[in-house]
Amino acid sequence: MLAYVLRRMGYGVVVVLGVLLFLFVLFFTVASPDDVARRALGEKALPEVIEQWKANHGYDRPLWPWQDFDDNMLFEHYRRMLTFDFGRSDADDVLIIERLRQGAGPSLALTIPLFVVGITLGIVLSLFVAFFRETYIDRTGVFLCVLGMSLSILLYIVGAQYLIAKLLRWFPISGFDSDPAVIGRFLALPLVVGIASGVGGDVRFYRTVFIEETGRDYVRTARAKGAGEIRVMVHHVLRNALIPILTRVVLAIPFLFMGSLLLESFFGIPGLGAITVDAINGNDFSTLRTMVFIGALLFVMGQIATDVSYALVDPRVRLE
Amino acid sequence: MRRRASGLLAALLLACSNNPYPDADADRKILYTNYREAPRTLDPAVAYTTSAHAITGNVYDTLLEYHYLKRPYELVPGLAEEIPRAEPRPGGRVAYRFRLRPGLLFQDDPSFALGGEGRSTREILAADVAFELMRIADPAVNSPVIEPFSNLLGFRDFTGALAARREADPDFAARPVREQYAELGGIEGVRVLAERELEVVLAAPYPQILYWFAMPFTTPVPWEAVQYYDGQEGREHFGDHPVGSGPFQLVEYNKQASMILDANPNWYGVRHPEWRAPGATYPTEGEASDAERGLLDPALVGQPLPFLERIEFRREKESIPSFNKFLQGYYDAAGIIRESFDKVVREDRLSPEMAELDVRLEKSVIPAVYYLGFNMEDATVGAPGGERARTLRQAMSLVIEVDEWLRLFANGRGVPAESPLPPGLFGYDEDYRNPYRRVDLERARALLAEAGYPNGIDPETGKPLRLTFDTPDTSAQGKLRFEFYVNAWRRIGLDVEIRATNYNQFQEKVRNGAYQIFQWGWVADYPDPENFFFLLWSEMARSKNQGPNTANFSNPRFDELFLSMKSMESDAERLAIIREMRGILEEERPWIELFHPEDYALYHGWLRGVKPAGISNPTAKYRDLDPDLRSSRREAWNEPVLWPLAVLIVLSVAITVPGVITFFRERQ
Repeated sequence: MLAYVLRRMGYGVVVVLGVLLFLFVLFFTVASPDDVARRALGEKALPEVIEQWKANHGYDRPLWPWQDFDDNMLFEHYRRMLTFDFGRSDADDVLIIERLRQGAGPSLALTIPLFVVGITLGIVLSLFVAFFRETYIDRTGVFLCVLGMSLSILLYIVGAQYLIAKLLRWFPISGFDSDPAVIGRFLALPLVVGIASGVGGDVRFYRTVFIEETGRDYVRTARAKGAGEIRVMVHHVLRNALIPILTRVVLAIPFLFMGSLLLESFFGIPGLGAITVDAINGNDFSTLRTMVFIGALLFVMGQIATDVSYALVDPRVRLE
Repeated sequence: MRRRASGLLAALLLACSNNPYPDADADRKILYTNYREAPRTLDPAVAYTTSAHAITGNVYDTLLEYHYLKRPYELVPGLAEEIPRAEPRPGGRVAYRFRLRPGLLFQDDPSFALGGEGRSTREILAADVAFELMRIADPAVNSPVIEPFSNLLGFRDFTGALAARREADPDFAARPVREQYAELGGIEGVRVLAERELEVVLAAPYPQILYWFAMPFTTPVPWEAVQYYDGQEGREHFGDHPVGSGPFQLVEYNKQASMILDANPNWYGVRHPEWRAPGATYPTEGEASDAERGLLDPALVGQPLPFLERIEFRREKESIPSFNKFLQGYYDAAGIIRESFDKVVREDRLSPEMAELDVRLEKSVIPAVYYLGFNMEDATVGAPGGERARTLRQAMSLVIEVDEWLRLFANGRGVPAESPLPPGLFGYDEDYRNPYRRVDLERARALLAEAGYPNGIDPETGKPLRLTFDTPDTSAQGKLRFEFYVNAWRRIGLDVEIRATNYNQFQEKVRNGAYQIFQWGWVADYPDPENFFFLLWSEMARSKNQGPNTANFSNPRFDELFLSMKSMESDAERLAIIREMRGILEEERPWIELFHPEDYALYHGWLRGVKPAGISNPTAKYRDLDPDLRSSRREAWNEPVLWPLAVLIVLSVAITVPGVITFFRERQ
């Protein structure tokens, strides 16, 4: 098991290093440091100001190791990213790590409840429809799920802002305030939208898993031994269906930190997703590089965690 | 159990509110407004955008300011005791002497401890204004207004000396900037005569310099703040931590979410209301229409400023939610979004629905001009093309129908421009009609034939004359707007190609002179015709000096007239010169003047004392609001509608229960 984990981590390191190289080529060869500096400082900035800015951001050295092995931007890029010394934003010189720290709170305030409530609701509803399989409850449920999955999240967002916030006036249309007295108001609507847009897919997936499990021999045995339906569903079916559920869930955990791009952007929540969107719009390449790197890192970690969790929940799986 | 459930339900219903603010703030005089993108910097020497001035203008007070109500714009004393007069000096120089009010204080800030243990503020001195002028000259600060201040004696020399010394001596460069400036002896034309007395000497007359002292660029800046907020060891940058002298101070700055200004208790208006200083008292007189617009309300007139205790800027990236919050009463003012324009404005007046909400519509023409420019160094459309190119430009000017453009793309918000000068400025002539800004296809075709392009055909190729329109705007919306011009020119047979590239490529083209036609705009820094005509002065040519004359227009007579009107008082003689300059532009057509944009703003009935400023200057201190009226209207407008929730629950139960019952019955 340890050997397997180490091997997977080795692969992960290769992937992350590759992503970093890709990022470097993409960001530094497409837009030269001079272009980035001109964008940040304005067209009229004096040449010495531009040089100073490049020096402050570490963009004043040669790009490649073969130009200067001891002092080049490629190695510096690797050093910075791998030591989490992300430097300053290209757009407004704010320390990126500071910005991440500021954004993490609002992101987690939205994604953690979204994650917990989403999974719980998904499992409960799918157990419910699986239990009533082949009845009109099941068919209505599946129909609603497919309908829900077919709609774009943008439609949910705009629709909810119009219907729930504007017409029914239950919650603010958008915004954020970490003040405990009002934070709930701001999170309610994005939560409703996030859950409504995601629950259809979850329910359909979990339902398939549960129905497959309910056809198995051990379920018949449990029923034959006189176990009640609810006991069968929760104790037997749910437990055995955990592997596919875990795959879906564990893979999603790392992305809780990245926030939700669309929800944060449209609801004005100043989280990491919104920071990423702002970085794209504002040509803030250093922040964008950091966000892509963190995304890649979390993805690789999520993959490894999923594999390990298999072995932990299912004694039949051996990692070798 | 039942009690707990009903308690939970009650809590849930209470949480059901669309109010984005804490309930405790309902009766406070807090102005709520919003912003889309946070300013890049709040350094007063650098910040040059409207969004930045919304903060810096209120945090940093200036020596002079504009009278809030009077138009044409008029200067009044701010931190200075009076408006200085120009004093002629030998060698054609001119001096201005500013005297600061006594006992002015900066806002409280920990950085003042650098000047003495336990200090939290100190008196504002003439040296603080001199320090800021030196910061503008400092190449490392990267101020965008180096050019206009170059009129100060020795300004450029100081810039050069500072750069040279830093380059030659790294130890010097590592010292605090205040010491560097002091060692170089400062700027020759900026003299601190006494603690509260400053003299600025100009190498040549430039009366507009006084307007620059009404902008945040020249505010007094404490050296302590610049030195302390250096971005090192976890400290912020000075550009993110303003320490000012104005009626408000920045107390929360989260670029992603909100910016909060609180009234500054150290401000002279708060500490000395008995002075009744013009910058700290609501004006007693204004324009003729001000009384009718409620701007001379006795509740306001003569009252000490500011009225507000706090201004909250909330970030709104999307315009529709932000406008909806205005309609719910959660923002006090709003612009009008395109999507809702027809609902809000009908036949150029407020719609009945809006009037019912007691909303007011204020229209104001912005002192700005948008235009299409020709690159006058281009062989086909520019000066090298001689008479032929001029006639071509005249013909092209005769087909652009700006009224239609405004109707299609700006909901009619704009005044067609006949010359570069917008309404409200000296030299603007309401009756002037530019003969080349009428739509006249016949005449355009005749001129085109005269230029040697009959029906737009280039005799050299036998095909329609091909020109390029260069732009850094690659959006679909932008393309539609540019297509409008291209289609207009097509009507006289010209083939104009839109070349939309990214910003860097566009700048590259401009640097290399590889462009023919472009669209540009200019918003006035200050209300003087010089600030528009300098855009066509040959010394400001983009190709020559990287200046804002992107058309590279160069006309000796125009230059001569410009140099003489530049430093004149606004009198009949100046007016005559302006007329002659206008005539040159009319014939030469380096620009096709498009329009002066018009701002339509909406205000709720509880907001008072609002007059659109046009020129970017701080006005928040003059605004007042009635929190009780606002609270009661918000409540009336935002009662939650809860019955659909009950319907939803009943419906779900009604659908599910029969199925469940049948299922178990069948099982048994």
